[in-house]
Amino acid sequence: MSIQPNDTFPDIVALDHAGRSRSLSELAAGDPLVLTTFRGFWCPKEQAFMRRLVAFQDEVEVAYSSVVSLSVDPPEVTAAFRAGLGARWTFLADPEREYLDALDLREHTDTVHHPYRPAVFVLTPDLVVRSAYNGYWYWGRPGLDELRTDLREVTRAIRADWNVPV
Amino acid sequence: MSERCWLALVDAVPPTADASAALRTPDGAPAGWLAAWLQGSKPVRAARRADPRIVDPDGAAAAISLVLPDRAALTIFDDPAVQGARRAVLADAEPADLVTTLLIDASHFAGSLTARRGPNAVALLRDDPFRRVSPATLLFVDGGLLGTVPPPVGPVIERHGSDVPWPGGRFPAI
Repeated sequence: MSIQPNDTFPDIVALDHAGRSRSLSELAAGDPLVLTTFRGFWCPKEQAFMRRLVAFQDEVEVAYSSVVSLSVDPPEVTAAFRAGLGARWTFLADPEREYLDALDLREHTDTVHHPYRPAVFVLTPDLVVRSAYNGYWYWGRPGLDELRTDLREVTRAIRADWNVPV
Repeated sequence: MSERCWLALVDAVPPTADASAALRTPDGAPAGWLAAWLQGSKPVRAARRADPRIVDPDGAAAAISLVLPDRAALTIFDDPAVQGARRAVLADAEPADLVTTLLIDASHFAGSLTARRGPNAVALLRDDPFRRVSPATLLFVDGGLLGTVPPPVGPVIERHGSDVPWPGGRFPAI
């Protein structure tokens, strides 16, 4: 995987699940950001991991951090997948595979549909990569405790009042 | 742009407002004006604070769902009902053109404004999640006041500071 910690993640622009053009920097909006790429709604591994993220969102929703998931599925498909999961974060659609190669995340085992290879990136608000997880094998993906650790470190670095003034 | 935005229903165009637009009921009857001020101090007694991003003097006409609970009977912002409404806004597969909660202090939910455009606007506004907290009024607002604000990324339901109307605001960068 080309993108590694301390790299700056490209500020990609893609349609969200409602068909609106969104940039990654706009979505980060000053908060830590967890970006996941996934093969598609049909993949059992993605379904399993997304269920974990859905459980995680009950913490993220009170912790001033954002989640974005990117796939080649078109907006109407990602919207249906998102609704079925009960996810409340933004899904991005890259049906034209515009960023697959630029991000070096083309799934080489599927030469028919050319989906994204699963990966998870924890980013600072200015899109610097704190952690990068290669999810090609399921166990390469972060556990929720690893995400908590990453988000704690990013939050500690970007919040001036982490050590509460007394 | 001022960091603070105030909204109020008024009977006539206030000369001091930064933007305003006429309101109509669903059957076309005049329903006063909705006015916005971008300033620090409260402009009129009835004003409530909103996300400043909603104001756009070039914005098109829209249908709105306005939740304005009585000031004497406000629900706290962290009430589970208000939390649930915020979650429902984030879960919406067809996000509104804009949504802002309204505040009069740092503790209470003082209402919400949701705007939509397009053929399904009215039907979608009848499912405004905030009407589960307090009754909503469906109105049509002329152009010249409300813009379009990208939907929140999710899943954060908390305010970025207790005096910042959700979903707007952000913490200062170091």
